[in-house]
Amino acid sequence: MTGLTPVILASTGSPAATHQGAWWMALIPFLPLLSCVLCGLVACVRPIRSTKLPAWITVVSLGVSFALMLATYGQQREGWASGASVTTAWEWIHLSWGHEPGQTLIANFGFYMDGLSGLWMLFVTGLGTLIALYASEYMAHDKGLGYCRFFAAFSLFVFSMACLVMGDNLILLYLGWEGVGLCSYLLIGYFYKKPSAVAAAKKAFIMNRIGDLGLALGVMLTFFHFGTVQYAELFPLVQPHIDSLKAGRVEDIPLLVQAIPVLLMIGAFGKSAQLPLYVWLPDAMEGPTPVSALIHAATMVTAGVYLIARTMPLFLVSEWALPVVAWVGALTALLAATIGMAQFDIKRIMAYSTVSQLGYMFAGLAFLSSTGAAFHVFTHAFFKATLFLCCGAVMHGFAGQLDLRRLSGVMFMRGWLIVGVAMLVGCLNLSGFPFTAGFFSKDMILAEAFVTPGYQLLGWILILTAGLTAYYTFRVFFRVFVGPRLFEPGDEVHADDDHGHADHAHDGHAPAGDGHSAEPPTPQPHDADHSFHPHPPGWAINTVLALLAVLSLAAAGAYFIEQDRHGWVGSMVHDSTAAQVSIGEGEHAVHAAAFRHDLTHEEHAHATLLGMNPHDVMYFVSAIVGVIGILIAAALHGPKGIGGLMIGSRTEAARSRADELLPRLGPIPRWAQHKWFVDEFYEFLIRRPLYVASCIFHLIDALLVDGLVNLFGWLPRRMGKSARRAQSGVLHQYAGQMAGGLVIVLFIVLLLTA
Amino acid sequence: MSPIALLSLMFVPAASAVAVAAAPAKLARHIALVGTLFAIVVGLVALGDYDWSRPGAMQASGGFEWLPELGLRLSVGIDSIALLLIGLTLLLGPICVVASRTAITERVKTYYAWLLVLQAAMTGVFAARDLVLFYICFEFTLIPMFILISLYGSTNRKHAATKFFLYTFTGSIIALAGLLYVVWFNATKLLPTAFAGAGTWTLDIGVLTHAGASMSLSEQSWVLAAMMLGFGVKVPLFPVHTWLPLAHTEAPTAGSVILAGVLLKLGTYGIYRFVLPMTPAALVEHAHLIAVLAIIGIIYAGLICWVQRDVKKLVAYSSVSHLGFCVLGLVAVNGPGLSGSVLYMINHGLSTGALFLLIGMVYERYHTRDMDELGGLASKMPIWSTFMVFFVMASVGLPGLNGFVSEFLCLLGAFQSPSGLGREGLGATPGTLGPWFAGFAGTGMIVAAIYLLYMTGRVVFGQLKEPRGHHAGPLPTDLTVREIAVLSPIAVLCVLLGLYPKPVLDVVAEPVAAQAQWVWDHQPGATPAHAESHGVAAPNDEPPGEGE
Amino acid sequence: MSELVLLAQSGFPAPMGGLTLAHYLFVSAAMFVLGVIGFLTRRNLIIMFLCTEMMFQAAGLALIAFSRFWLNQTGQTFVIFVITIAAAEAALALALVVLLFRKRESLSADEWSEMSG
Repeated sequence: MTGLTPVILASTGSPAATHQGAWWMALIPFLPLLSCVLCGLVACVRPIRSTKLPAWITVVSLGVSFALMLATYGQQREGWASGASVTTAWEWIHLSWGHEPGQTLIANFGFYMDGLSGLWMLFVTGLGTLIALYASEYMAHDKGLGYCRFFAAFSLFVFSMACLVMGDNLILLYLGWEGVGLCSYLLIGYFYKKPSAVAAAKKAFIMNRIGDLGLALGVMLTFFHFGTVQYAELFPLVQPHIDSLKAGRVEDIPLLVQAIPVLLMIGAFGKSAQLPLYVWLPDAMEGPTPVSALIHAATMVTAGVYLIARTMPLFLVSEWALPVVAWVGALTALLAATIGMAQFDIKRIMAYSTVSQLGYMFAGLAFLSSTGAAFHVFTHAFFKATLFLCCGAVMHGFAGQLDLRRLSGVMFMRGWLIVGVAMLVGCLNLSGFPFTAGFFSKDMILAEAFVTPGYQLLGWILILTAGLTAYYTFRVFFRVFVGPRLFEPGDEVHADDDHGHADHAHDGHAPAGDGHSAEPPTPQPHDADHSFHPHPPGWAINTVLALLAVLSLAAAGAYFIEQDRHGWVGSMVHDSTAAQVSIGEGEHAVHAAAFRHDLTHEEHAHATLLGMNPHDVMYFVSAIVGVIGILIAAALHGPKGIGGLMIGSRTEAARSRADELLPRLGPIPRWAQHKWFVDEFYEFLIRRPLYVASCIFHLIDALLVDGLVNLFGWLPRRMGKSARRAQSGVLHQYAGQMAGGLVIVLFIVLLLTA
Repeated sequence: MSPIALLSLMFVPAASAVAVAAAPAKLARHIALVGTLFAIVVGLVALGDYDWSRPGAMQASGGFEWLPELGLRLSVGIDSIALLLIGLTLLLGPICVVASRTAITERVKTYYAWLLVLQAAMTGVFAARDLVLFYICFEFTLIPMFILISLYGSTNRKHAATKFFLYTFTGSIIALAGLLYVVWFNATKLLPTAFAGAGTWTLDIGVLTHAGASMSLSEQSWVLAAMMLGFGVKVPLFPVHTWLPLAHTEAPTAGSVILAGVLLKLGTYGIYRFVLPMTPAALVEHAHLIAVLAIIGIIYAGLICWVQRDVKKLVAYSSVSHLGFCVLGLVAVNGPGLSGSVLYMINHGLSTGALFLLIGMVYERYHTRDMDELGGLASKMPIWSTFMVFFVMASVGLPGLNGFVSEFLCLLGAFQSPSGLGREGLGATPGTLGPWFAGFAGTGMIVAAIYLLYMTGRVVFGQLKEPRGHHAGPLPTDLTVREIAVLSPIAVLCVLLGLYPKPVLDVVAEPVAAQAQWVWDHQPGATPAHAESHGVAAPNDEPPGEGE
Repeated sequence: MSELVLLAQSGFPAPMGGLTLAHYLFVSAAMFVLGVIGFLTRRNLIIMFLCTEMMFQAAGLALIAFSRFWLNQTGQTFVIFVITIAAAEAALALALVVLLFRKRESLSADEWSEMSG
């Protein structure tokens, strides 16, 4: 796999809806794979092992991939309107057991490029390049084998993600799906000497595997029913079902078809950290921060959104799939936001906010706004990466300190301005401050909730969550970045600022729970440790942060391009398999629920919110909610003076006005801080019983199953034992027995003859 | 490809065994290596004649009169499936020889001689077209293995070897009884007009296949039960699996590799070659029962892995779990299931064999396999750890590595062979399993991730933990070039079979389709028209894999 | 059945001297029983060995008597075989007894019970 020359470029025999893509499109995934192999080779060569070579290999190959992606975009953008372009690298699984349709399983290494894949690949490769650049500096303390390992896994991740997004069939998507899971496992467990990191990695992989099983079964069911797993052939086959939906004959759609999306979404929930499988993502923060930024915020976790958007026609024909997705998304958003409000570890807060924002995206999908979801994925990728990388820079500079009670005024320390400003931009985006990218993308989803019949309640839940999001986001900002300049270094204080210790785990956390007691730690002035000086980020980190901050603001621009098609993202999504639903306002009738709604209300009036068009009024509602959240955060956590918007009062790092408020809420903050005990719930309800069952099985195996076998061995032995007494070894006894036997035989003979 | 070539594949290792026994002890290792490598060369040369356009046909078939009075012929022949398994056997030969270099220092001649004899016997099993030759080779694998375990194993080796021998021997005797019934049936109950070879005392497997399929359902059921007992022990299928963990734990590394790599496959190969075609009606009748046993094995053995402390025992139990998928695919009796199973035989041999090699390498250094005493080896043995994680992932069934394709196909095969709901699906095939079976078996994927990552988390990652009083032996801390050379070919094959399984799938597809066709054609009440509706190529009255 | 045989079976003519088959068989049985009793009661290996020889000869006597009674040679042939084998066996057995005696300085059969199960 090192060379790309043997790549066979075959034309696909798919219907006219697709056309053949350029051969070099296959390079987009394979360059990162090449980089992975090269990083591995570098690790084998001792003299160059401890250089930054792996980082540069990765940055360059990802950069070239990004450039190729841009070229693909430039060349094919127009063509996507008429269908995807497909490039087949080689035949992977091709098994035929008959000549009729449905008797050949084809899953090639074929790459499928349409608006949806293009959108995803643009930010995957683009952000990948930037974050690799960031990581080249961030991981520099670990140069050597670890550095090679990091970048090899990093490249492998981009390859897997590309297979996931660009695969032209569900099985290649599954390859990418599990591949990103593997890379996530390897990178979360990067600091493999820390038991918590190893445990988190394991947890992530296993949780994902549960989802993967759902996905695998969904893929099988798809093949089972439709006889193909290739998009190009699959979606035309779904069309009749959509037609019968349109005609109001829901009962014509076979039950099995309706079950497919239910299985697929289990996979999506696992990978995208939704209820009930979300618990791995916060723990995944044990990994190095660039990994958290790229994998666990910007790209991998949006794979679930991609999956649902890609297979939207299948979701459409199911009566239950999308409502389930909607509720799961909204509830996850709310739950994660409440947990995020009570955490002290800034990286974990960001992790919970990721879970929460992913909930928005799922809800958006369920509201039939693939565009809204994709747009949110797009903006979220930029601003969440920015936020994570800022947290990472803080952690890097303060020896692993992540507790927001032990840091204050970071923005105003020397050399930290870019980090602070980037953080502010990210926070504004996340909290949906007016005219930021996050504002537009979130609004699109929220408005859709009120447009789609039956989802009003979810709409209000999501609006409430938006307020909570603004609060906890700015809680971090007001406490860590503004206010008096105080800090307390983390537990990774080095003898010098050289950071030359490869063995030193960099992303240490105070053990969860202990540091989270109601009693805040004693605030220590920054001169507690004279030998420690925070070291501000270098050029690579600063460049990346500045660029990302600008990009995350600029992402709003996508909303204004091609507005007649719901913005640039909308136009991209429109030219894909998700298109059947990404239609203009007022055309939501395709959905089953909406459809029934239509049947009952002949004159289907457009839904309204507060008597106005939801799309218009949402701008104001969400802006107000966001600003209120920010103001509450300022009041409770803001420092005295302008930094706290003149309503804050905090003067030290560890205490703020919120501490006085918390006891009045009873045990609720404590419960939220303990993540509503979901982990413990799983531990006691699932893991423990399973482990006990394993122990019981072990005993059964040793005693019962093997015992029976041993019994069969024991019986003859026992019989032999009782028979051996006759063998005394005394000659006379033998002779006597023989004589006795003879007598008996003679007697019998006599008896018989008589 | 001529039968001579096949016979020489058996003869070369056997002759090398004699040479090892005759030559001085210090040459034993070298002769064994040359012998196994030469066998590969012979195989490759013979492969030049293989007709790839007819992978389903028995090629290189033929043989010599052996004891004509008893109807015995030394007849051999291979289709593509036997070819693949012989390939696996040949590949593992030199790997085992090289891997044993430092582990075996006493009674070297005996060791290598029996290792070579074992290889000859295993090759014979896959090549045999005569029932007696098959059975002799099948049973003869026990003797070298018994000696390898009882002379070169760990502390409890005598017990393990005895149990291994008696357990599998008892099973195969019962299987032989079933097979002999078919012989008797063919000779006495069938008219010579039925088909060529009917009504004669013959031991030709092709003829017997025909004869078996003509038995009544109840006769087939009894024969099926007998054969499943014999081959099931070998696989091993729950609940007759308990010899395996014991034998694996006590066997020397190379013994474990061969045991997991090839010997277990004798069971699944037996099911494929005998159970499926000889008792088609009974198999379909009872497929769901066998599948349930396989699924119980998958989950049950997987969960047991989780509470093991001995790494080798863990991997041994994982074999039980993994082979469950293989059996599940076999009893699904359709294209994907059978091809998946055949692929699984190869893939499991590679990845689990490699895991045993890796564990053996650690054992040579630390003289323990206890996870309470070992841990965090990544910081001390990075190369070993890289290989370990790689093969663990192959074993977990990560797509892109070999395990995935076969596991997925086995599950797919089970999934798409429903007897009820969904039969009208485009991708549905006739069968008696269905989505529920695949769903339950699929949980094995999760369980596999749990126990293998649990092991990786303890042994590879975490804080370095070494047994007390450990002092470095003659081996360096991390792997030597020799050890890397042992593992690398397997790793390369894992990647190749994972990313480009098409050549293997292509050659497997035809015999497998014919096999499935044969089974469904021989259901009570099946008519050729019914058979055609399954869409398999052409009605084919030859037993699968017949004719040159 | 020929007259000659009938004659022979009636204990006539002369060589049987008026003795019928029953006499021979009686002697044979007596010898055999004596041999058995000797074998079972004595502990001396040589005596026991002699007793087995006596049983052999008892069987041989019965065979010869039958042979004469039926006027065919099978029994006699068989006896020659028995005698030959007994001779060989005697040589072997006596050698063994001597060896055993050298080991334990005793001729008692009870000294040897290593073959117990």
